[in-house]
Amino acid sequence: MDICTQDFDAISLGNRVYLARARVHEVMGSAADLFAVTVAAHTSGAVVWIGQERDLFALAPTSLQQFIDPSRFILVSGVTRDENLWAMQQALLCGGAACVIAELGDGPDLKTSRRLQLAAEEGGTLGIALISGRAQTSAAQTRWSCEPCAENMWNWRLTKNKSGVLGDWRVSIKGEDRASRIVDLVSAPTA
Amino acid sequence: MRRVLSIWFPRLPLDRRVRQGDPQTEGPFAIIAESKNAWRLTHVNELALRAGVTAGLSLPDARAICPDLLTEPADQMREAALLSSLQRWSDVLSPWVAPDAPDGLYLDISGCAHLFGGEQTMAEEALARLNDMRIAARIGIADTKGGANALARFSTTQITIAECGKTRHALKSLPIAALQIDTSVVAELASTGIKTIGQLYEIKSNELARRFGLGITHALGTSLGQEPDPIAPASATPIYAARMTVPEPIGLVSDLNAVLERLSMSVCTRLNDDQKGARRFKLTVRCVDTGDHVLKVGFSKPCAATKLVVQQFAHPLDKLEIEFGADWFRLVAEQIEALHPKQTEFGEKPLERESNERLKTTLSNRLGADRVQQFAGHDSHLPECEFGHVEAIDQASEPVWIDAPRKRPLRVYQRPKQLLMLEPGRPPKRFQWRRAVYSVKRAKGPERLTAEWWRDGDKRARDYWIVHTDNGSSLWLLTYPGESPPQWYLAGKFP
Repeated sequence: MDICTQDFDAISLGNRVYLARARVHEVMGSAADLFAVTVAAHTSGAVVWIGQERDLFALAPTSLQQFIDPSRFILVSGVTRDENLWAMQQALLCGGAACVIAELGDGPDLKTSRRLQLAAEEGGTLGIALISGRAQTSAAQTRWSCEPCAENMWNWRLTKNKSGVLGDWRVSIKGEDRASRIVDLVSAPTA
Repeated sequence: MRRVLSIWFPRLPLDRRVRQGDPQTEGPFAIIAESKNAWRLTHVNELALRAGVTAGLSLPDARAICPDLLTEPADQMREAALLSSLQRWSDVLSPWVAPDAPDGLYLDISGCAHLFGGEQTMAEEALARLNDMRIAARIGIADTKGGANALARFSTTQITIAECGKTRHALKSLPIAALQIDTSVVAELASTGIKTIGQLYEIKSNELARRFGLGITHALGTSLGQEPDPIAPASATPIYAARMTVPEPIGLVSDLNAVLERLSMSVCTRLNDDQKGARRFKLTVRCVDTGDHVLKVGFSKPCAATKLVVQQFAHPLDKLEIEFGADWFRLVAEQIEALHPKQTEFGEKPLERESNERLKTTLSNRLGADRVQQFAGHDSHLPECEFGHVEAIDQASEPVWIDAPRKRPLRVYQRPKQLLMLEPGRPPKRFQWRRAVYSVKRAKGPERLTAEWWRDGDKRARDYWIVHTDNGSSLWLLTYPGESPPQWYLAGKFP
């Protein structure tokens, strides 16, 4: 089962899970940042990470190094939510980045997410919005919910998909080697 | 035979203000500087002179003599900049120019004078051109630097030329101060009745040195050409700038872009010729109604490509509000660095790096350079000191991450957050953080780290524990050993 139809240019996360490029995806849950790092590790090129200074500077390259080369990261700090959204739009627009990740707190509303979506399409960049608060009705391509379920095990649940079906995966970190596939999608979709 | 031309600008700070169109200079005006614990006049204009004020007076005295006197303190930076542009200008006279700070220039004109039709006409032409620029000057020409300098500053005419080999004769009647020696020595010589350079010729140099020090014999020797005193030409730092004036004010984006493209082409071609690149570009747009607007863009590495400059200016230029049009533009390149054209490797890597650089540049220009950062490794074993952040645009080279030896959580909090104990233990069996209660299923630790004594701040040793909680998340707890009762903190979160 393909999560995204192949009309899109998409990146493969393994086990026939595809994530469309040039689209914005929303990720929720306490393990959302792992999802973002995993997706970033499957791309090549610069990764722009946008967030409040407090969250952003807690992000440790000493941990990221096991997934991805930390020198690929470009950190953009905003003071307010609006600044972060604007930074995300600009980063999506200018192209050149493989992946733009923004920590947003509450999810973007329909108007905001539509703008982000348009920016992603224009720049051809993959956008990921990390939502720690409430999600709202939005124009995002997919919405994921990521929670840890056991030690070194995570549940990735696809709760919204604009073009494709929903699903549920169990994920674990496989090897220590950065180059190898870092996340193993253990079980097939259950939904 | 070597010929040296010395130009002295006796009123450089005044002339700078006049050229600027400073309205103060229309009345009695003077430049002041602090010396010997008082503000003293250093340069005085015509009207002030006529009112009886002279250079060297202290400011209160001058005010008493001429109550209308206006003054400004000297601005050494701007005057140095004016001198350096005069040095660039003096290329028309000779290629061999050295500055004589703060207000003069030395030109080696050996073999140049005949191009102007002789030394006299050359000096006259130089004066005429300087006069056009509204800069007062005096010129001396002699066989030596010291001689030319003395003639420019101390002779009675505006142009003084000592014929080839006649420097000794020309200097004869000038005062001792023309030798540019210590004022104390001048005073000492004056007290013995020696007032002119000519009087020194009659004294043996070993006797002169014994009585007044080597300084005076050296100055005399170099001025008379007995000791070598070459001109070391310091090339003025080139300015990479271009400006354009358009006959009619323009305001359309396409027109502005066309102007920008021409300007940046001119600047970048010159940069490329010198194998240089600029980290910053500044564009001044003079609108007919609202005056000057300065736009700036930065680059993450030295840049000399027309296309990139135009591309980076597109956004700020688009933002600029021009209602009635702009008619004057100036583009200047700043922070010039050597351009290192690199051997590009095969494959996609160099292309990727190129687009990376462009992304950093674009983001920094739009968001502000301090907002766009990258990771930098630090030499430390403390988890919060192991990494830092640097501005992405300011890197001399691509930052390289060297893997840290230990596994750390995805989020490391700079300030550990205190936890609320529910069931104590080592590590605690149950605790609360924010609104969630965690019970520990499995724990690994402790990892004891001692503080770095060479750093200021907290000197306590710490114990770190990795705890796996019942809801699947892994946390990193911190406690300080030896505390009673032990306090527990959240130091980080694993993914």
